[in-house]
Amino acid sequence: MSVPDDPVGPAPDAPALPVPTGRAVRRYTAAVARQRGGASVGSLLVDVYSVLVTTAVGVGVAVGVVDAVRDSMPADAGADLVGPEVSLPTLAGLLVLALAGAVLSLAGRLGPVGVGGAEATWWLGLPVARRGLLRPAATRLPVLAGAVGAVALPLLDLALRDDGRPSPVRVATVAAVGGLGAAALVLGAGAGQSLGAVRRRIATVGDVLVALVPVLALVSGVAGVHVDRVPAPPPGAVLALLGVVVAAGVVLDHRLERIPARELRESGSVATQAVGALISLDSRELGRTLTDGGRVRRRRRSSRLRVVRSPALALVTADALLLVRSPRHLVQLAATAAVPTIVLAVPRLQTPVIVLPALLVAGYVAMLATAEGPRRAEMAPVVDRLLPIGARRVRRLRMAVPAVAMLAWSLAALAPFAVLGGDLAGWWALGAAAAPVWAGAAVRSAYRPAPDWSGPLVATPAGALPLGATVVLSRGPDVVVLGLVPVLVAVALGTVVPGMLVAQVVCSTVVVAVCGHLPDEPRTVTA
Amino acid sequence: MPSPVVVEAQSLLVGYGGEPVCAPVTFTLEAGRALALVGPNGSGKSTVLRAVLGLLAPAGGTVRVLGREVDERAQAFRARVSSVLDDDAWFPALTVAEHLLLTASGHGVPEPVGVVDALLEDFGLATHRDVLPATLSSGQRRRLLLAAGFARPRSLLVLDEPEQRLDQRMRAALAQRLLEEQSAGGAVLLATHDPELLAAVAGAAVLVGEGSSALLDVGDAVRAIRAEPTQ
Repeated sequence: MSVPDDPVGPAPDAPALPVPTGRAVRRYTAAVARQRGGASVGSLLVDVYSVLVTTAVGVGVAVGVVDAVRDSMPADAGADLVGPEVSLPTLAGLLVLALAGAVLSLAGRLGPVGVGGAEATWWLGLPVARRGLLRPAATRLPVLAGAVGAVALPLLDLALRDDGRPSPVRVATVAAVGGLGAAALVLGAGAGQSLGAVRRRIATVGDVLVALVPVLALVSGVAGVHVDRVPAPPPGAVLALLGVVVAAGVVLDHRLERIPARELRESGSVATQAVGALISLDSRELGRTLTDGGRVRRRRRSSRLRVVRSPALALVTADALLLVRSPRHLVQLAATAAVPTIVLAVPRLQTPVIVLPALLVAGYVAMLATAEGPRRAEMAPVVDRLLPIGARRVRRLRMAVPAVAMLAWSLAALAPFAVLGGDLAGWWALGAAAAPVWAGAAVRSAYRPAPDWSGPLVATPAGALPLGATVVLSRGPDVVVLGLVPVLVAVALGTVVPGMLVAQVVCSTVVVAVCGHLPDEPRTVTA
Repeated sequence: MPSPVVVEAQSLLVGYGGEPVCAPVTFTLEAGRALALVGPNGSGKSTVLRAVLGLLAPAGGTVRVLGREVDERAQAFRARVSSVLDDDAWFPALTVAEHLLLTASGHGVPEPVGVVDALLEDFGLATHRDVLPATLSSGQRRRLLLAAGFARPRSLLVLDEPEQRLDQRMRAALAQRLLEEQSAGGAVLLATHDPELLAAVAGAAVLVGEGSSALLDVGDAVRAIRAEPTQ
């Protein structure tokens, strides 16, 4: 190795001095950041204490909710089950599959190994071994997934077991299985990333697993294939999963050098945006961040848009195309429409305490799938501004696609209630009357302002709650809960009466008026 | 004795998601020479540079740097190829000087402090050496990035529109520095919209575009830039 004459000039050979290790570069950067950050050991301890207390309170609240759900379940199977039946243990198994799919999907979208913009610019060009630079980044997501899995799986076990409270040993075993399983999935995704697997495909595998859950539930119900008991994890499961985690971790660690810089930049960029959206409680930005990477860059041909004959039709057509060209959102609509059917097919879940939240949550997730147009328009209203339509009319027109999509969703989601209690026409009429509520909520949530952090803090057992931000975040869910009261009453009673239909029409009218309202209407430019 | 070939692109096709953004490009860059990529905005110049740097897999054709297939994962590649793209990211806690020190020390430069001091002076950042980059103007941040490109050993220097956000004096200084780079045996590959920088620095140019890509002499390249549509 020759030493160049001018160390900063062109150097045909290797650097003049040995380069530092990646670990040394990382530690230097971190040490300077710590020095300048001004954080004392005391403030660090306070932060750790706060996180631990908040987590403990959160887990405690979750356990309380789970207990309440268990207590609300009828002791024996419902006598009036008409359609296909799905056993509770079968549902528990399918929910584990959904959790695994969600973990894999997020791991594929977030990397799992990536670096932020500064690291990409200033670290990745250095001729140092990247393993030392990337180890913490490669460890972070598996540890986080493991922690979530270690909490989520015991909660699920606690909620859906039908033979009483589990023993501490079982809770510990299930937590270990959940934690190690989630970590193994993320490490496996990381190993796949280092082997050149396209991250989008890893995420798609996860999405498919989640989408399979309602299909498998329906198949189980129709075919009569059941699991009778939630199985206890086999004795060797923890050790086996530990072995998988260690093996996947070693493979990933040895292959960190092989992950291309472009992959590290892309996944780091997504993760940075996602964390930012999470910290600022901006669910719209979070959704955009997690979905943008998977978009198709080019279509086979452009539509001639023959139906567009006015600015209003242009707006509605644009929203409709956005929805129908997004398979993920269509799957989201179809999968959530099956949720009421699945819940009602499980005899022990036939209680309003479970059915009503399931209907509302499934509907809200479906509604989010239909609101991509308004959400993007709120972020970049440039196309709206090109059209000669007033802002209030734009907002109302943006309800059209969610209304039509949620009408179809409502007909599918409410049909199983008719199977149980009869009067299909009544349930469908109620669903049709309720569709505008979902449409209004879609627009209201899409056009909500950024969270207001300047409001007062409210002390809660889980820590300070920023009231201003909470009020903003409730825009959307608020009108769903209030506007769907007639539907919820009908579901709770298991029947539809004409008064409910009238009440639902009134509620829908009010919701549409509220959600289409703008405080200061800009001057309308007429065509 | 002919100069060694530093970059060799043969029918190099670049794009995103399998979709090419420009016609295939073919060029050779030798040590001690500078080659410019020209073409209007969106023509694919930066994408070609990213493929040369290994930050984007070619959709077709080949590109070799210093006689080997491009692989930015190889430490030897990173040790010899310096680049300044359109990044604008900084460690929030590191000062201007510390960013450059990180680069110089990370490349094993002897006496990195002296090297960094000289670069800060040359790029008009001496009075800002101890400030955090977030407080700099966009032009000053651009100069910091350019300084980082020169703060380390290299055989190939890749620059994406280095003239962006530089004033006339700094552009002239940059041109002078790039000429010195060639005199010292370094190769320079740059994308530019600045006809004066191109005329001062480059020995040839490649017109990058959708229809076809062509090798131009400097005069034709300058005319091609002047004919670009105004944005």
